[in-house]
Amino acid sequence: MRKDKNLLQKISRGPIPWLAPIFLVLGVFYLIPLADVIKTSFTDATMTNPAGNGFTLNSYGKIFQDKAFGDVLFVTFFFVTFSVVFQFLLGFLIALAVNAAEDRHMRGTVLTRTISLVSWAIPGVAIGIIWKILYAESGSSILNYLLSLCGADPVAFLSDPDTALLSTSIANVWRGTAQSMILLYAGVKTVDKQLIEAASIDGATAVRRLFHIIIPGMKSVIMINILLNIINTFNTFDMIMPLTGGGPGRSTEVLVLSVYRNIFQQLDLGGGCAVAIMLLCINIVFSIFYFFMNREKEAG
Amino acid sequence: MTESKLKRRIVNGMLYLLFALVIVFFLFPILWTLSLSFKTVPELYQVPPALFPESLAIDNYAYLVQQVKILRGVWNSMIVTLSTIVGTMLIAVPAAYAFSRIRFKGSAFVQFLILMFQMISPLVIVIPLYRYFAKIGLLNSLIGLTAIYIAISAPFQVWFLKSFFDTIPTELDEAACIDGCRRLQVVTRILVPTIAPGIFSGMLLVFISSWSQFVVPYILMDTPSKMPLACLLVNLQSTFQQITTHYLAAASILTILPTVLLFLFLQKYIVSALTAGAVKG
Repeated sequence: MRKDKNLLQKISRGPIPWLAPIFLVLGVFYLIPLADVIKTSFTDATMTNPAGNGFTLNSYGKIFQDKAFGDVLFVTFFFVTFSVVFQFLLGFLIALAVNAAEDRHMRGTVLTRTISLVSWAIPGVAIGIIWKILYAESGSSILNYLLSLCGADPVAFLSDPDTALLSTSIANVWRGTAQSMILLYAGVKTVDKQLIEAASIDGATAVRRLFHIIIPGMKSVIMINILLNIINTFNTFDMIMPLTGGGPGRSTEVLVLSVYRNIFQQLDLGGGCAVAIMLLCINIVFSIFYFFMNREKEAG
Repeated sequence: MTESKLKRRIVNGMLYLLFALVIVFFLFPILWTLSLSFKTVPELYQVPPALFPESLAIDNYAYLVQQVKILRGVWNSMIVTLSTIVGTMLIAVPAAYAFSRIRFKGSAFVQFLILMFQMISPLVIVIPLYRYFAKIGLLNSLIGLTAIYIAISAPFQVWFLKSFFDTIPTELDEAACIDGCRRLQVVTRILVPTIAPGIFSGMLLVFISSWSQFVVPYILMDTPSKMPLACLLVNLQSTFQQITTHYLAAASILTILPTVLLFLFLQKYIVSALTAGAVKG
Protein backbone atom coordinates (compact mmCIF):
# COMPACT_ATOMS: atom_id res chain seq x y z
CA MET A 1 0.00 0.00 0.00
CA ARG A 2 2.66 2.43 1.09
CA LYS A 3 4.86 1.56 -1.81
CA ASP A 4 2.05 2.35 -4.20
CA LYS A 5 1.59 5.72 -2.63
CA ASN A 6 5.27 6.53 -3.01
CA LEU A 7 5.21 5.50 -6.62
CA LEU A 8 2.18 7.68 -7.18
CA GLN A 9 3.94 10.59 -5.56
CA LYS A 10 6.98 10.00 -7.66
CA ILE A 11 4.95 10.06 -10.84
CA SER A 12 3.10 13.17 -9.82
CA ARG A 13 6.39 14.97 -9.22
CA GLY A 14 7.73 13.96 -12.60
CA PRO A 15 6.79 15.29 -16.02
CA ILE A 16 4.00 12.79 -16.71
CA PRO A 17 0.99 14.78 -15.40
CA TRP A 18 2.13 17.83 -17.34
CA LEU A 19 2.74 15.98 -20.56
CA ALA A 20 -0.17 13.53 -20.46
CA PRO A 21 -2.68 15.84 -22.19
CA ILE A 22 -0.44 16.61 -25.13
CA PHE A 23 0.69 12.98 -25.45
CA LEU A 24 -2.93 11.94 -25.57
CA VAL A 25 -3.86 14.49 -28.24
CA LEU A 26 -0.78 13.88 -30.38
CA GLY A 27 -1.13 10.13 -29.95
CA VAL A 28 -4.72 10.09 -31.15
CA PHE A 29 -4.37 12.67 -33.92
CA TYR A 30 -0.82 12.05 -35.11
CA LEU A 31 0.71 8.72 -34.06
CA ILE A 32 -2.28 6.48 -34.75
CA PRO A 33 -3.10 8.13 -38.10
CA LEU A 34 0.58 8.05 -39.13
CA ALA A 35 0.86 4.36 -38.31
CA ASP A 36 -2.34 3.81 -40.27
CA VAL A 37 -1.04 5.70 -43.33
CA ILE A 38 2.20 3.72 -43.29
CA LYS A 39 0.31 0.45 -43.00
CA THR A 40 -2.20 1.38 -45.70
CA SER A 41 0.57 2.36 -48.12
CA PHE A 42 1.60 -1.31 -48.18
CA THR A 43 -1.85 -2.48 -49.23
CA ASP A 44 -4.02 -2.15 -52.31
CA ALA A 45 -6.75 -0.44 -50.28
CA THR A 46 -9.35 1.74 -51.99
CA MET A 47 -11.84 4.10 -50.46
CA THR A 48 -14.55 1.47 -50.94
CA ASN A 49 -12.36 -1.27 -49.49
CA PRO A 50 -10.18 0.56 -46.97
CA ALA A 51 -8.79 -2.63 -45.43
CA GLY A 52 -7.26 -3.86 -48.70
CA ASN A 53 -6.25 -7.44 -49.44
CA GLY A 54 -3.11 -7.93 -47.43
CA PHE A 55 0.49 -6.84 -47.82
CA THR A 56 1.76 -5.67 -51.17
CA LEU A 57 4.35 -3.29 -52.54
CA ASN A 58 2.19 -2.53 -55.57
CA SER A 59 1.29 0.98 -54.46
CA TYR A 60 4.93 1.98 -54.48
CA GLY A 61 5.62 0.01 -57.65
CA LYS A 62 2.77 1.77 -59.42
CA ILE A 63 4.12 5.19 -58.46
CA PHE A 64 7.59 4.54 -59.74
CA GLN A 65 6.32 3.06 -62.99
CA ASP A 66 3.85 5.87 -63.50
CA LYS A 67 5.41 8.42 -65.83
CA ALA A 68 2.99 11.06 -64.62
CA PHE A 69 4.52 10.77 -61.16
CA GLY A 70 7.82 12.00 -62.56
CA ASP A 71 5.92 15.06 -63.74
CA VAL A 72 4.50 15.54 -60.24
CA LEU A 73 8.00 15.48 -58.82
CA PHE A 74 9.22 17.97 -61.41
CA VAL A 75 6.25 20.30 -60.76
CA THR A 76 6.88 20.09 -57.02
CA PHE A 77 10.59 20.70 -57.46
CA PHE A 78 10.01 23.74 -59.65
CA PHE A 79 7.30 25.14 -57.38
CA VAL A 80 9.42 24.76 -54.25
CA THR A 81 12.68 26.00 -55.76
CA PHE A 82 11.18 29.01 -57.50
CA SER A 83 9.13 29.98 -54.44
CA VAL A 84 11.92 29.58 -51.92
CA VAL A 85 14.56 31.38 -54.01
CA PHE A 86 12.40 34.39 -54.78
CA GLN A 87 10.78 34.54 -51.35
CA PHE A 88 14.27 34.70 -49.94
CA LEU A 89 15.69 37.24 -52.39
CA LEU A 90 12.68 39.55 -52.22
CA GLY A 91 12.33 39.19 -48.46
CA PHE A 92 16.03 39.90 -47.96
CA LEU A 93 15.95 42.91 -50.29
CA ILE A 94 12.98 44.42 -48.42
CA ALA A 95 14.56 43.64 -45.03
CA LEU A 96 17.82 45.36 -46.02
CA ALA A 97 16.01 48.32 -47.54
CA VAL A 98 13.75 48.84 -44.53
CA ASN A 99 16.71 48.51 -42.21
CA ALA A 100 18.76 51.03 -44.22
CA ALA A 101 15.81 53.42 -44.38
CA GLU A 102 15.42 53.26 -40.62
CA ASP A 103 19.07 54.23 -40.16
CA ARG A 104 18.46 57.15 -42.48
CA HIS A 105 15.30 58.17 -40.61
CA MET A 106 13.31 58.08 -43.83
CA ARG A 107 9.57 58.54 -43.84
CA GLY A 108 7.23 55.74 -44.86
CA THR A 109 9.49 53.03 -43.45
CA VAL A 110 6.95 51.66 -40.99
CA LEU A 111 4.22 51.78 -43.62
CA THR A 112 6.33 49.83 -46.13
CA ARG A 113 7.33 47.29 -43.51
CA THR A 114 3.73 46.74 -42.47
CA ILE A 115 2.41 46.40 -46.02
CA SER A 116 5.13 43.95 -46.98
CA LEU A 117 4.02 41.73 -44.08
CA VAL A 118 0.24 41.83 -44.51
CA SER A 119 0.11 38.86 -46.87
CA TRP A 120 1.36 36.69 -44.01
CA ALA A 121 -1.97 37.18 -42.23
CA ILE A 122 -4.15 36.31 -45.23
CA PRO A 123 -5.61 32.79 -45.39
CA GLY A 124 -4.08 30.77 -48.23
CA VAL A 125 -7.44 30.03 -49.87
CA ALA A 126 -8.18 33.74 -50.11
CA ILE A 127 -4.77 34.27 -51.73
CA GLY A 128 -5.61 31.57 -54.28
CA ILE A 129 -8.92 33.21 -55.12
CA ILE A 130 -7.48 36.73 -55.24
CA TRP A 131 -4.76 35.64 -57.68
CA LYS A 132 -7.25 33.69 -59.75
CA ILE A 133 -9.18 36.94 -60.15
CA LEU A 134 -5.98 38.85 -61.04
CA TYR A 135 -4.96 36.20 -63.56
CA ALA A 136 -8.38 36.12 -65.29
CA GLU A 137 -8.06 36.06 -69.03
CA SER A 138 -11.03 38.07 -70.30
CA GLY A 139 -10.57 41.54 -71.82
CA SER A 140 -11.69 43.21 -68.61
CA SER A 141 -9.24 41.34 -66.37
CA ILE A 142 -6.69 43.48 -64.68
CA LEU A 143 -3.27 41.96 -65.32
CA ASN A 144 -3.92 41.39 -68.99
CA TYR A 145 -5.25 44.92 -69.27
CA LEU A 146 -2.08 46.31 -67.66
CA LEU A 147 0.00 44.19 -70.04
CA SER A 148 -1.93 45.53 -73.00
CA LEU A 149 -1.08 49.06 -71.84
CA CYS A 150 2.56 48.06 -72.21
CA GLY A 151 1.79 46.79 -75.67
CA ALA A 152 2.04 43.09 -74.79
CA ASP A 153 -0.26 40.36 -76.04
CA PRO A 154 -2.67 38.80 -73.57
CA VAL A 155 -1.17 35.97 -71.51
CA ALA A 156 -3.05 32.76 -70.73
CA PHE A 157 -1.79 32.81 -67.13
CA LEU A 158 -3.69 29.79 -65.84
CA SER A 159 -5.20 28.09 -68.89
CA ASP A 160 -1.91 27.41 -70.67
CA PRO A 161 -0.16 24.40 -69.09
CA ASP A 162 3.22 25.95 -69.88
CA THR A 163 2.61 29.17 -67.93
CA ALA A 164 0.28 27.93 -65.18
CA LEU A 165 3.09 26.59 -63.02
CA LEU A 166 5.03 29.85 -63.22
CA SER A 167 1.87 31.86 -62.46
CA THR A 168 1.16 29.65 -59.45
CA SER A 169 4.73 29.99 -58.20
CA ILE A 170 4.61 33.80 -58.51
CA ALA A 171 1.41 33.90 -56.47
CA ASN A 172 3.18 31.79 -53.87
CA VAL A 173 6.11 34.21 -53.79
CA TRP A 174 3.59 36.95 -53.02
CA ARG A 175 2.29 34.82 -50.21
CA GLY A 176 5.55 33.69 -48.62
CA THR A 177 7.83 36.71 -48.91
CA ALA A 178 6.47 38.17 -45.67
CA GLN A 179 7.66 35.18 -43.66
CA SER A 180 11.19 35.63 -45.05
CA MET A 181 11.08 39.37 -44.56
CA ILE A 182 10.08 39.06 -40.88
CA LEU A 183 12.87 36.66 -40.02
CA LEU A 184 15.57 38.31 -42.11
CA TYR A 185 14.66 41.78 -40.87
CA ALA A 186 15.04 40.57 -37.30
CA GLY A 187 18.28 38.86 -38.35
CA VAL A 188 19.78 42.00 -39.89
CA LYS A 189 19.16 43.79 -36.60
CA THR A 190 21.36 41.31 -34.77
CA VAL A 191 24.41 42.09 -36.93
CA ASP A 192 26.84 44.33 -35.07
CA LYS A 193 26.37 47.88 -36.37
CA GLN A 194 29.85 48.95 -35.27
CA LEU A 195 31.38 46.23 -37.36
CA ILE A 196 29.54 47.49 -40.43
CA GLU A 197 30.54 51.08 -39.74
CA ALA A 198 34.16 50.16 -39.20
CA ALA A 199 34.23 48.33 -42.53
CA SER A 200 32.61 51.28 -44.21
CA ILE A 201 35.26 53.64 -42.82
CA ASP A 202 37.92 51.26 -44.12
CA GLY A 203 36.42 51.82 -47.53
CA ALA A 204 34.45 48.61 -47.99
CA THR A 205 31.71 49.05 -50.59
CA ALA A 206 28.08 48.25 -49.78
CA VAL A 207 28.35 44.99 -51.72
CA ARG A 208 31.45 43.91 -49.79
CA ARG A 209 29.80 44.81 -46.49
CA LEU A 210 26.81 42.70 -47.47
CA PHE A 211 28.77 39.59 -48.46
CA HIS A 212 31.55 39.78 -45.90
CA ILE A 213 29.83 41.07 -42.78
CA ILE A 214 26.04 41.05 -42.94
CA ILE A 215 25.42 37.66 -44.57
CA PRO A 216 28.03 35.75 -42.51
CA GLY A 217 26.68 37.48 -39.40
CA MET A 218 23.18 36.15 -39.94
CA LYS A 219 24.01 32.80 -41.51
CA SER A 220 21.94 30.73 -39.11
CA VAL A 221 18.85 32.92 -39.49
CA ILE A 222 19.15 32.60 -43.25
CA MET A 223 19.41 28.81 -43.03
CA ILE A 224 16.46 28.54 -40.67
CA ASN A 225 14.41 30.81 -42.88
CA ILE A 226 15.16 28.79 -46.01
CA LEU A 227 14.38 25.49 -44.28
CA LEU A 228 11.05 26.80 -42.95
CA ASN A 229 10.12 28.09 -46.40
CA ILE A 230 11.00 24.76 -48.00
CA ILE A 231 8.79 22.87 -45.55
CA ASN A 232 5.92 25.35 -45.89
CA THR A 233 6.07 25.27 -49.67
CA PHE A 234 6.13 21.48 -49.86
CA ASN A 235 2.97 21.46 -47.73
CA THR A 236 1.13 24.16 -49.70
CA PHE A 237 -2.34 22.94 -50.54
CA ASP A 238 -4.69 25.76 -49.59
CA MET A 239 -3.53 28.29 -52.15
CA ILE A 240 -3.19 25.95 -55.14
CA MET A 241 -6.57 24.26 -54.73
CA PRO A 242 -8.70 27.34 -55.50
CA LEU A 243 -6.12 28.78 -57.92
CA THR A 244 -5.66 25.86 -60.33
CA GLY A 245 -6.82 22.70 -58.56
CA GLY A 246 -3.66 21.11 -60.02
CA GLY A 247 -4.57 21.89 -63.61
CA PRO A 248 -4.82 22.53 -66.43
CA GLY A 249 -4.28 18.84 -67.01
CA ARG A 250 -1.88 18.02 -64.22
CA SER A 251 0.47 20.91 -64.93
CA THR A 252 0.39 22.34 -61.39
CA GLU A 253 -0.15 19.11 -59.47
CA VAL A 254 2.37 19.23 -56.62
CA LEU A 255 2.94 16.30 -54.26
CA VAL A 256 0.25 17.33 -51.75
CA LEU A 257 -2.35 17.70 -54.48
CA SER A 258 -1.31 14.35 -55.87
CA VAL A 259 -2.07 12.72 -52.52
CA TYR A 260 -5.48 14.38 -52.50
CA ARG A 261 -6.27 13.45 -56.09
CA ASN A 262 -5.23 9.82 -55.66
CA ILE A 263 -7.34 9.32 -52.56
CA PHE A 264 -10.37 11.54 -52.89
CA GLN A 265 -10.80 11.57 -56.66
CA GLN A 266 -9.32 8.26 -57.82
CA LEU A 267 -10.32 6.60 -54.52
CA ASP A 268 -6.95 4.81 -54.61
CA LEU A 269 -6.24 4.80 -50.88
CA GLY A 270 -3.12 2.61 -51.01
CA GLY A 271 -1.54 4.63 -53.83
CA GLY A 272 -2.38 7.94 -52.18
CA CYS A 273 -0.91 6.79 -48.90
CA ALA A 274 2.29 5.75 -50.66
CA VAL A 275 2.61 9.27 -52.09
CA ALA A 276 1.78 10.66 -48.65
CA ILE A 277 4.65 8.62 -47.20
CA MET A 278 7.04 10.30 -49.60
CA LEU A 279 5.74 13.68 -48.55
CA LEU A 280 6.16 12.57 -44.95
CA CYS A 281 9.77 11.54 -45.55
CA ILE A 282 10.52 14.94 -47.10
CA ASN A 283 8.90 16.65 -44.10
CA ILE A 284 10.95 14.57 -41.68
CA VAL A 285 14.27 15.09 -43.48
CA PHE A 286 13.86 18.86 -43.49
CA SER A 287 12.70 18.99 -39.89
CA ILE A 288 15.83 17.08 -38.87
CA PHE A 289 17.91 19.72 -40.67
CA TYR A 290 15.87 22.38 -38.95
CA PHE A 291 16.35 20.81 -35.55
CA PHE A 292 20.13 20.68 -35.95
CA MET A 293 20.29 24.24 -37.27
CA ASN A 294 18.40 25.42 -34.22
CA ARG A 295 20.63 23.48 -31.90
CA GLU A 296 23.83 24.70 -33.50
CA LYS A 297 22.61 28.27 -33.20
CA GLU A 298 21.77 27.86 -29.53
CA ALA A 299 25.12 26.26 -28.81
CA GLY A 300 27.17 28.74 -30.82
CA MET B 1 28.90 57.43 -41.79
CA THR B 2 29.90 60.27 -44.01
CA GLU B 3 28.18 60.64 -47.29
CA SER B 4 28.13 63.39 -49.82
CA LYS B 5 24.80 65.16 -50.15
CA LEU B 6 24.39 63.95 -53.71
CA LYS B 7 25.07 60.34 -52.89
CA ARG B 8 22.69 60.52 -49.98
CA ARG B 9 19.95 61.83 -52.23
CA ILE B 10 20.51 59.15 -54.84
CA VAL B 11 20.42 56.35 -52.28
CA ASN B 12 17.31 57.75 -50.60
CA GLY B 13 15.66 58.11 -53.98
CA MET B 14 16.41 54.48 -54.84
CA LEU B 15 15.05 53.32 -51.51
CA TYR B 16 11.85 55.29 -52.06
CA LEU B 17 11.47 53.83 -55.53
CA LEU B 18 11.87 50.34 -54.07
CA PHE B 19 9.34 51.14 -51.34
CA ALA B 20 6.84 52.29 -53.94
CA LEU B 21 7.27 49.03 -55.89
CA VAL B 22 6.93 46.95 -52.72
CA ILE B 23 3.76 48.78 -51.70
CA VAL B 24 2.20 48.37 -55.15
CA PHE B 25 3.13 44.69 -55.40
CA PHE B 26 1.77 43.74 -51.99
CA LEU B 27 -1.16 46.10 -51.72
CA PHE B 28 -2.57 46.11 -55.24
CA PRO B 29 -4.01 42.56 -55.25
CA ILE B 30 -5.87 43.31 -52.01
CA LEU B 31 -7.14 46.72 -53.11
CA TRP B 32 -8.22 45.36 -56.48
CA THR B 33 -10.23 42.62 -54.74
CA LEU B 34 -11.75 45.24 -52.44
CA SER B 35 -12.71 47.33 -55.44
CA LEU B 36 -14.27 44.34 -57.24
CA SER B 37 -16.29 43.50 -54.14
CA PHE B 38 -18.31 46.71 -54.70
CA LYS B 39 -18.75 46.34 -58.45
CA THR B 40 -21.86 45.32 -60.40
CA VAL B 41 -21.93 42.75 -63.20
CA PRO B 42 -21.74 45.34 -66.04
CA GLU B 43 -18.77 46.92 -64.29
CA LEU B 44 -17.01 43.54 -64.19
CA TYR B 45 -17.19 43.41 -67.98
CA GLN B 46 -16.19 46.98 -68.60
CA VAL B 47 -13.23 47.41 -70.95
CA PRO B 48 -10.94 49.00 -69.90
CA PRO B 49 -11.55 47.99 -66.30
CA ALA B 50 -12.11 50.91 -63.92
CA LEU B 51 -9.84 51.16 -60.92
CA PHE B 52 -12.64 52.21 -58.58
CA PRO B 53 -16.23 50.96 -58.36
CA GLU B 54 -18.98 53.39 -59.34
CA SER B 55 -20.54 53.23 -55.92
CA LEU B 56 -19.79 51.73 -52.56
CA ALA B 57 -23.11 49.89 -52.55
CA ILE B 58 -22.92 46.81 -50.36
CA ASP B 59 -25.25 44.76 -52.57
CA ASN B 60 -22.67 42.00 -53.05
CA TYR B 61 -22.15 41.65 -49.33
CA ALA B 62 -25.90 41.71 -48.75
CA TYR B 63 -26.28 38.90 -51.30
CA LEU B 64 -23.68 36.81 -49.45
CA VAL B 65 -25.42 37.38 -46.14
CA GLN B 66 -28.95 36.72 -47.38
CA GLN B 67 -28.52 34.11 -50.11
CA VAL B 68 -25.32 32.32 -49.18
CA LYS B 69 -25.75 32.65 -45.40
CA ILE B 70 -22.10 33.49 -45.17
CA LEU B 71 -22.43 34.64 -41.58
CA ARG B 72 -22.84 30.96 -40.70
CA GLY B 73 -19.32 30.48 -42.00
CA VAL B 74 -18.05 33.45 -40.01
CA TRP B 75 -19.72 32.06 -36.90
CA ASN B 76 -18.36 28.54 -37.45
CA SER B 77 -14.85 29.90 -37.94
CA MET B 78 -15.12 32.03 -34.80
CA ILE B 79 -16.33 29.12 -32.67
CA VAL B 80 -13.69 26.72 -33.94
CA THR B 81 -10.88 29.27 -33.77
CA LEU B 82 -11.64 30.46 -30.24
CA SER B 83 -12.12 26.92 -28.93
CA THR B 84 -8.85 25.92 -30.57
CA ILE B 85 -7.04 28.77 -28.82
CA VAL B 86 -8.37 27.71 -25.41
CA GLY B 87 -7.75 24.01 -26.01
CA THR B 88 -4.26 24.54 -27.39
CA MET B 89 -3.19 26.63 -24.41
CA LEU B 90 -4.62 24.11 -21.96
CA ILE B 91 -2.37 21.37 -23.29
CA ALA B 92 0.62 23.43 -24.48
CA VAL B 93 1.26 25.49 -21.33
CA PRO B 94 1.74 22.49 -19.00
CA ALA B 95 3.92 20.72 -21.57
CA ALA B 96 6.05 23.83 -22.13
CA TYR B 97 6.45 24.13 -18.36
CA ALA B 98 7.55 20.51 -18.03
CA PHE B 99 10.16 20.81 -20.81
CA SER B 100 11.49 24.01 -19.29
CA ARG B 101 11.53 23.05 -15.61
CA ILE B 102 11.56 19.29 -15.09
CA ARG B 103 14.71 17.40 -16.00
CA PHE B 104 14.01 13.92 -17.23
CA LYS B 105 15.51 11.33 -19.51
CA GLY B 106 14.56 11.71 -23.16
CA SER B 107 13.30 15.26 -22.76
CA ALA B 108 15.25 16.54 -25.77
CA PHE B 109 14.13 13.65 -27.94
CA VAL B 110 10.47 14.11 -27.06
CA GLN B 111 10.78 17.80 -27.84
CA PHE B 112 12.26 16.94 -31.20
CA LEU B 113 9.38 14.56 -31.96
CA ILE B 114 6.88 17.25 -31.09
CA LEU B 115 8.65 19.70 -33.36
CA MET B 116 8.54 17.16 -36.15
CA PHE B 117 4.77 16.84 -35.89
CA GLN B 118 4.57 20.54 -36.58
CA MET B 119 6.37 20.03 -39.89
CA ILE B 120 4.08 17.24 -41.09
CA SER B 121 1.42 18.23 -43.60
CA PRO B 122 -2.03 18.01 -41.96
CA LEU B 123 -3.20 16.27 -45.14
CA VAL B 124 -1.25 13.14 -44.14
CA ILE B 125 -3.09 12.73 -40.84
CA VAL B 126 -6.49 13.71 -42.22
CA ILE B 127 -6.54 10.74 -44.59
CA PRO B 128 -7.15 8.15 -41.84
CA LEU B 129 -8.99 10.62 -39.61
CA TYR B 130 -11.55 11.00 -42.38
CA ARG B 131 -12.34 7.31 -42.16
CA TYR B 132 -12.38 7.24 -38.35
CA PHE B 133 -14.65 10.26 -38.22
CA ALA B 134 -16.97 8.77 -40.84
CA LYS B 135 -17.29 5.66 -38.69
CA ILE B 136 -18.17 7.48 -35.49
CA GLY B 137 -20.27 10.18 -37.12
CA LEU B 138 -17.89 13.09 -36.53
CA LEU B 139 -17.80 14.30 -40.14
CA ASN B 140 -19.32 17.79 -40.35
CA SER B 141 -18.81 18.20 -36.62
CA LEU B 142 -17.23 21.40 -35.34
CA ILE B 143 -16.09 19.56 -32.22
CA GLY B 144 -14.18 16.99 -34.23
CA LEU B 145 -12.69 19.77 -36.33
CA THR B 146 -11.60 21.69 -33.23
CA ALA B 147 -9.91 18.62 -31.78
CA ILE B 148 -7.76 18.25 -34.91
CA TYR B 149 -6.96 21.96 -34.98
CA ILE B 150 -5.74 21.70 -31.39
CA ALA B 151 -3.47 18.80 -32.30
CA ILE B 152 -2.10 20.81 -35.24
CA SER B 153 -1.52 24.00 -33.22
CA ALA B 154 -0.11 22.51 -30.04
CA PRO B 155 3.39 21.42 -31.20
CA PHE B 156 4.54 24.88 -32.21
CA GLN B 157 3.03 26.43 -29.10
CA VAL B 158 4.95 24.04 -26.86
CA TRP B 159 8.21 25.21 -28.39
CA PHE B 160 7.18 28.80 -28.41
CA LEU B 161 5.96 28.92 -24.78
CA LYS B 162 8.92 26.91 -23.53
CA SER B 163 11.20 29.70 -24.73
CA PHE B 164 9.26 32.08 -22.48
CA PHE B 165 9.45 29.80 -19.44
CA ASP B 166 13.18 29.52 -20.11
CA THR B 167 13.61 33.27 -19.69
CA ILE B 168 12.34 33.17 -16.10
CA PRO B 169 15.10 32.36 -13.59
CA THR B 170 14.37 29.21 -11.57
CA GLU B 171 15.09 31.18 -8.39
CA LEU B 172 11.67 32.68 -8.82
CA ASP B 173 10.05 29.25 -8.55
CA GLU B 174 12.16 28.39 -5.53
CA ALA B 175 11.50 31.68 -3.77
CA ALA B 176 7.80 31.18 -4.26
CA CYS B 177 8.02 27.69 -2.91
CA ILE B 178 9.69 28.16 0.45
CA ASP B 179 6.95 26.44 2.40
CA GLY B 180 6.86 23.50 0.06
CA CYS B 181 3.91 24.74 -1.91
CA ARG B 182 2.72 22.84 -4.91
CA ARG B 183 4.04 23.08 -8.41
CA LEU B 184 0.60 23.75 -9.78
CA GLN B 185 0.31 26.87 -7.64
CA VAL B 186 3.71 28.14 -8.73
CA VAL B 187 2.69 27.68 -12.34
CA THR B 188 -0.77 29.23 -12.15
CA ARG B 189 -0.02 32.04 -9.70
CA ILE B 190 3.50 33.06 -10.65
CA LEU B 191 4.85 31.66 -13.90
CA VAL B 192 1.79 31.99 -16.13
CA PRO B 193 1.16 35.63 -15.17
CA THR B 194 4.86 36.35 -15.78
CA ILE B 195 4.79 34.98 -19.32
CA ALA B 196 1.33 36.40 -20.07
CA PRO B 197 2.62 38.51 -23.00
CA GLY B 198 4.10 35.36 -24.56
CA ILE B 199 0.85 33.47 -24.10
CA PHE B 200 -1.01 36.35 -25.70
CA SER B 201 1.33 36.30 -28.72
CA GLY B 202 0.89 32.55 -28.95
CA MET B 203 -2.89 32.95 -28.93
CA LEU B 204 -2.68 35.41 -31.81
CA LEU B 205 -0.63 32.96 -33.86
CA VAL B 206 -3.14 30.18 -33.16
CA PHE B 207 -5.98 32.50 -34.14
CA ILE B 208 -4.46 33.30 -37.52
CA SER B 209 -3.42 29.75 -38.36
CA SER B 210 -6.75 28.23 -37.29
CA TRP B 211 -8.77 30.85 -39.13
CA SER B 212 -6.72 30.05 -42.25
CA GLN B 213 -6.84 26.28 -41.88
CA PHE B 214 -8.21 24.72 -45.04
CA VAL B 215 -7.18 21.18 -45.92
CA VAL B 216 -8.74 19.64 -42.80
CA PRO B 217 -12.27 21.07 -43.15
CA TYR B 218 -12.10 20.69 -46.94
CA ILE B 219 -11.89 16.94 -46.46
CA LEU B 220 -14.04 16.52 -43.35
CA MET B 221 -16.93 18.89 -44.05
CA ASP B 222 -19.37 18.67 -46.93
CA THR B 223 -22.38 20.49 -45.48
CA PRO B 224 -22.03 24.20 -46.30
CA SER B 225 -23.85 25.28 -43.13
CA LYS B 226 -21.15 23.56 -41.04
CA MET B 227 -18.15 24.85 -42.95
CA PRO B 228 -15.73 27.40 -41.57
CA LEU B 229 -15.32 30.50 -43.70
CA ALA B 230 -12.12 29.55 -45.56
CA CYS B 231 -13.73 26.28 -46.63
CA LEU B 232 -17.03 27.92 -47.53
CA LEU B 233 -15.13 30.34 -49.76
CA VAL B 234 -13.77 27.52 -51.91
CA ASN B 235 -17.16 25.82 -51.83
CA LEU B 236 -18.70 29.01 -53.25
CA GLN B 237 -16.07 29.15 -55.95
CA SER B 238 -16.88 25.65 -57.13
CA THR B 239 -20.68 25.77 -56.80
CA PHE B 240 -21.59 29.23 -58.11
CA GLN B 241 -23.29 28.92 -61.44
CA GLN B 242 -23.22 32.34 -63.10
CA ILE B 243 -20.88 35.32 -63.06
CA THR B 244 -19.48 35.42 -59.61
CA THR B 245 -16.24 37.36 -59.49
CA HIS B 246 -17.84 40.20 -57.52
CA TYR B 247 -19.33 37.79 -54.96
CA LEU B 248 -16.09 35.86 -54.63
CA ALA B 249 -14.20 39.11 -54.15
CA ALA B 250 -16.60 40.16 -51.39
CA ALA B 251 -16.37 36.75 -49.73
CA SER B 252 -12.56 36.92 -49.90
CA ILE B 253 -12.60 40.32 -48.23
CA LEU B 254 -14.78 38.93 -45.42
CA THR B 255 -12.41 35.99 -45.02
CA ILE B 256 -9.26 38.08 -44.76
CA LEU B 257 -10.68 40.96 -42.72
CA PRO B 258 -10.41 39.46 -39.20
CA THR B 259 -6.83 38.23 -39.56
CA VAL B 260 -5.62 41.32 -41.40
CA LEU B 261 -7.14 43.66 -38.80
CA LEU B 262 -5.66 41.58 -36.02
CA PHE B 263 -2.29 41.78 -37.72
CA LEU B 264 -2.45 45.53 -38.30
CA PHE B 265 -3.45 46.36 -34.72
CA LEU B 266 -1.34 43.79 -32.89
CA GLN B 267 1.61 43.65 -35.26
CA LYS B 268 4.10 44.19 -32.45
CA TYR B 269 3.12 40.96 -30.67
CA ILE B 270 2.93 38.92 -33.84
CA VAL B 271 6.25 39.99 -35.33
CA SER B 272 8.10 39.42 -32.07
CA ALA B 273 6.46 36.01 -31.77
CA LEU B 274 7.45 34.96 -35.27
CA THR B 275 11.05 35.95 -34.81
CA ALA B 276 11.40 34.66 -31.24
CA GLY B 277 12.62 31.21 -32.25
CA ALA B 278 14.95 32.13 -35.06
CA VAL B 279 16.90 35.08 -33.68
CA LYS B 280 17.59 34.67 -30.04
CA GLY B 281 21.30 35.22 -29.91
